[in-house]
Order: sequence, then C-alpha cells, then structure tokens
Amino acid sequence: MRTRTTILTRLQSNNRALAQPTTWQSRQGFNDLAEQFVTALTAVHGEPHLAPNLEGATAQLGAILAELGAQRVVANNEAPIADLNLPTRWPHLQWHIVGETAGDLREFCTYADVGLSSGIAAIAETGSVVIHSGSAQSRVATLFPPVHIVLLPTSRLTTDLFTFTATHKNTHLANGTLPAAMTFISGPSKTADIEQTMAIGVHGPKRFIVILYRE
Amino acid sequence: MTTTTAQFRERATIALEDVRLQQALDGATGRFATARQAALAAIPWADELRDHFKAIRAATLANLAEHLQTFERQATAVGTHVHWAQDGAEACAIVTEIAQRHGVTLATKSKSMATEEIHLNAALAKAGVRPVETDLGEWIIQLAEEPPSHIIAPAIHKTKEQVAELFERESGRPQSAADIPALTAEARRMLREQFLAAGMGISGGNLAVAETGSVVLVTNEGNGRMVTTAPRVHVAIIGIEKIAPTWDDAAVWLSLLARSATGQPMSIYTTVITGPKRTAALDGLPDPDGPEEVHVVLLDNGRSPLVGSKYEEVLQCIRCGACLNVCPVYREAGGHAYGSPYSGPIGAVISPLLFGLDKYPALPHASSLCGACQDVCPARIDLPRMLLELRADLVTQGIAHGSEAVLEGSVSLAMRSERVWALLMGMGRVGQRPLLKNGKLALPERFNPGGERPLPALAKKSFHDLWRDGEV
Ligand code: SF4
Repeated sequence: MRTRTTILTRLQSNNRALAQPTTWQSRQGFNDLAEQFVTALTAVHGEPHLAPNLEGATAQLGAILAELGAQRVVANNEAPIADLNLPTRWPHLQWHIVGETAGDLREFCTYADVGLSSGIAAIAETGSVVIHSGSAQSRVATLFPPVHIVLLPTSRLTTDLFTFTATHKNTHLANGTLPAAMTFISGPSKTADIEQTMAIGVHGPKRFIVILYRE
Repeated sequence: MTTTTAQFRERATIALEDVRLQQALDGATGRFATARQAALAAIPWADELRDHFKAIRAATLANLAEHLQTFERQATAVGTHVHWAQDGAEACAIVTEIAQRHGVTLATKSKSMATEEIHLNAALAKAGVRPVETDLGEWIIQLAEEPPSHIIAPAIHKTKEQVAELFERESGRPQSAADIPALTAEARRMLREQFLAAGMGISGGNLAVAETGSVVLVTNEGNGRMVTTAPRVHVAIIGIEKIAPTWDDAAVWLSLLARSATGQPMSIYTTVITGPKRTAALDGLPDPDGPEEVHVVLLDNGRSPLVGSKYEEVLQCIRCGACLNVCPVYREAGGHAYGSPYSGPIGAVISPLLFGLDKYPALPHASSLCGACQDVCPARIDLPRMLLELRADLVTQGIAHGSEAVLEGSVSLAMRSERVWALLMGMGRVGQRPLLKNGKLALPERFNPGGERPLPALAKKSFHDLWRDGEV
C-alpha cells in the first residue's frame, strides 16, 4: 500500500492538463471486405475459404475434416456451430462439444486433431479473427489442437482495428461483456527465432482455416 | 551489470570479430528494417498515425496516476489482483510469494522485457520455482544461459548448430542441426509438456487498457496464449507507463506495434486478458477453462521519477525494437555490448535512466547521433536529444565514462578496428556523413575530444570488411 501511495503521489505531483487527442477515424476503405480478408489471411499463411451460404460452408467443413483425416474434434458450442448438430451429421468422428459433452475437456483437447470455433468479428485489413472466451467457448479448444477451423458469417467482417473498436465499444468491448480472454488470431502459429528462418506451428495451431460464408 | 567504456569496447570487439554474428546481425536487422518500411508504406497515413500516437502517449503520461487508478479499479472489478512494485526486489517478492502460496514448483514464462529487467528468473529459482521461458528465442538463450541480444529476436546471435546442441542436451535425443522445422517441432513437443505441467504462467504485457482493466499480450508463437490459459495462476508484470486509457488508444498502439517491430500488419496472436476465468459468464454458466487467479504487478523501477523530467519522453516507448534495427552502432556491436536487457538506441537511453548513469556511463556515447532511431520510432521519440542530455549529465555529475583514457590507450585498438574506435567515439560511418569536411571529421566541438582540430575520417572500408576480404 505504501508503494502504491509513493508512486501515485509522485505521478500526481507532475500531473499536467493535457487532453487525449480525439479518436482516430479509420481511413481504410475496401471495396469488398471478404475479398480483402482472403488476401490478407493468405499472405500470413492462413487458409481462407469462401462459401455462398452456411450449407455450403458446412459441406466445405466436412470436406476439410475428411481431407485432414481428423478423428477427434472439439467444438465451441456457439452459433452457427451449435445448430449444425455435428455429432449426428458426422457420427464416425469423436466429438467434444464444449459445455455439453461429459468428460475432461482439457484432456480431450490435448489429443484432439481439430478445434472448431466461430468468432465475434473478423478484421479485413489484417485477416484476423476475433474470438471470445465464454461458458461454451473454450480457450484451449482453439489453442491445443494442431488445426483450428473457424466458421464465420461475412456479416461479422469489419474494415480494420479502428472500425472494430468503434463498432464494438458498447457491445463486445464494454465493461461487463468483455470476457476473461479475447484473442485476435491472424494466421497459424509461427516463429523465426532460429536463424531468422520462418517455421510454422511452434506452440499454437499449425493450420488456421477460416470458412467465411455469406448469409 | 554495468557498462563502462572499457566493458563496451571489450564486448563490442568480441561481436565485431565474430564473422557469423556480424552476418546474423546484418541479416536480421536488415530484414526487420525492410519489413517495417514496407508495412508502414502500405498505410499512406502512417506518419499522421504516428503523430497521433505520440499525442496519445504524451497525454497519457501527463495524467498517468489517473489512468493507473482507472486500470486498478476496472481490473479489480473483474477479479484481478493488482499489485504495485517500487523496484525489482519488490516485484520479485510479490511474484515468488504468489508462487509459494500456490505451491508452484514450475512456472512457464512468455517473453517479457520487464521480467528480464528485474531478474525474475533468478529470484524464482532461489525460491524453489523453476522458470521455463517459452518464447522459442528466449528459451534458447535460457538453455545457453545468456542474456537476450535483441528486444524482439533475443537469440539472433545463435546458429542452428548451437541450437541443436542445446536441444540435444535438454532432450537427451540427437537433433539434426540442418533442419529448422524439425528443431521447431522438437521445441513444440518439449515445451508443450511444460505448459501442461506448470502451476503458474508468467507474462509481461505489451500494454494495459485502463477502461476495461485488460492486459494485452502480443506473440507470434502462441506461447502468450498458453501461459495465460493453461496454468491455474497467471501473473503479468507490466511497467507503469504501458497504459492505454481507452480501446481507441489501444487500437492505434496495436496498429503500430507489429508493423514497427516485424513489419507484420498484426502479430499472429493478440491476447486480451481481463480477469480470471468467470465463475458466471454472460449466460450465468462458468467458463470451462482459463486461470482461476490473475495477478497484475505494476512495476515502477525508476519510471515514476522520469515523469515530468526532461527524460519523460522515453516512457512513450513501446519496445518495438525498430530503433535497434536501424542503428549503426547496434548493427555492429550487437546487443550484448550494452550489458543491459535493453540494447540499441532505446537501451542506451533507458538503461542509465532506470539502472543508474554511474553504472552505464558508456551508453550515452554508444551512438552516432545519426537520428535514424527517431526517424523510425512509432512514437517519434527524440532519442538523440536524450543521449546528449545524458552526456551533459555525465559531465555535471562528474562521472568519468573513460573516453579520454580510451583515446590515449586506443591507438592500437583503433588500428585493429576502426569501427570499434568509431563506436567508442560515438560516430559510426553513417553518423559521420553530415560531419565530414574535406574528408576530415568535423564534430561539434562538444563531442570532439581533439578540440577544434578535425580528426581523420574513418576509412570507407571498415575493419570488418577488410578482414572479411582478407586484407588484414
Ligand atoms: S524507442 Fe521507439 S523505436 Fe525504439 S523500441 Fe521504443 S518505441 Fe520502438
């Protein structure tokens, strides 16, 4: 407590009236947000897909899971994933639906082949997906498995960080709604720490696949 | 640690004579600098954005007490424990106490300059807690028992052969030196075990957002997510100056950070931590995972006395490393010459200010004053001005940094390496360009140890080039 007082008192004695500048407004403008998102995510070794609708996106998801040879899939139980009845659709796979399936989630994620989630937003400029934690949104589900697949409607696309903060100030970014963890994901995990040579998949997922669909 | 002129000379000489290190430094800093330039060129309003950012940082520091209190209030409201630390010892005591209370014997760490600054790893080890660095570069130098040599790329001085050897020793299995993806996969496997076993995760914080009480962590590897997600307890140590009052301010900060550091529009993972896992999330149900306890240590360690002083500007720094990559002295001498976790131009200014000018008397002179650092700084920090202020302080405080002694005794050294000589005199070849008169160096009088008399200019071809080309 004494330290706190010492620091704050010292700072307060040097307080000056200097106002924060007015909010920076986005100057970025893209003709097609989805197209820009695809370009940006591709540039950082992410794997974007565009589907005409949710049905098409689900079909693509099935094809990707088959191609990966996935056997164990963990899914965050959020829209639109929650409505797809994935375990009934693909019963040959072993599923863990967060908040629904009994059993140790962390243990399952440790050996899962794929983590499946949606996101609260996607940033076109940088090819980033924004995810939240929540009762049905596991943090390790999108982190432990070697592949992370995102299913996201194009309506959640926003231009850049500035339009993101402007749009979500009173919703996703507000006190009380901001969850314990919010993560901007912009590609697969990577490092260049050994001789400046890029290597993919050091701690996080090695593949980051985003299926965008129009509504 | 201290850095006198003799020590700087000694360490710089080692770096200068290490051909492979010179190549690595050249390559890494060159790549970062080029990537940064391209990333900023891609946003035509980059210069205005930097002006705006500087205004944000200046205003934030002018009202820092208020923003810290807002942060504390909001963070506490979501269940974060907020601590205040006057110095490194206090910060280390707070962290080790938390570890011991939870019976932690293994802690995973995400790269953090603040924890380097306070020597947290040594304190943890002493308290019976094994700290494991998880940023690949940071882990490599931890295994090698060496300090970081670059703010962003701590292990740029290691070869893949050296890395393979370190991994072999750690894993007890043979490693193929030629195969960087295989070494990376091995690191993933070995460190994954640590992530799962650790009782505590320790991170720094790239910034903290006051209005929501959040800590923001930026990584490319995903270790920041691991450290803040897998263990039961998460502790973040963050300098008191790293505050963004609002998300609007944080957006500007994040728009510039990765672009300036590595030339990425955005790092792969930007993680925003706002309290421990919820016992009742928005729908009233508990979060399935995440730490049960989150602590934030607000670290002063010499920062608050700078507020309101002629050095306040240095607190605008966001540790992007851009100034290192363009600095002619850093690019030659490497990070270890500075004898501080903070190297390059920012290190030359902040190390004496945080840790004592008497301990780092050589650093204000480890610069050519060429201005390249200020040109690339996202907050346009006037580092050259502060280097000059520090040089003046050396004089007024009567601290000898040994340049005169070096001058006298340096003839043989200068013959061996003109670059070492240039480094010590605070003039790289880049820096001397505007000062050249008729092929002679004409320095402002204040910096010319030879008085009015011009010094001979440095050879076009440096010692290193001569040596590489077999001419010496
Ligand atoms: S001084 Fe500027 S360029 Fe250097 S690390 Fe700090 S913010 Fe980056």
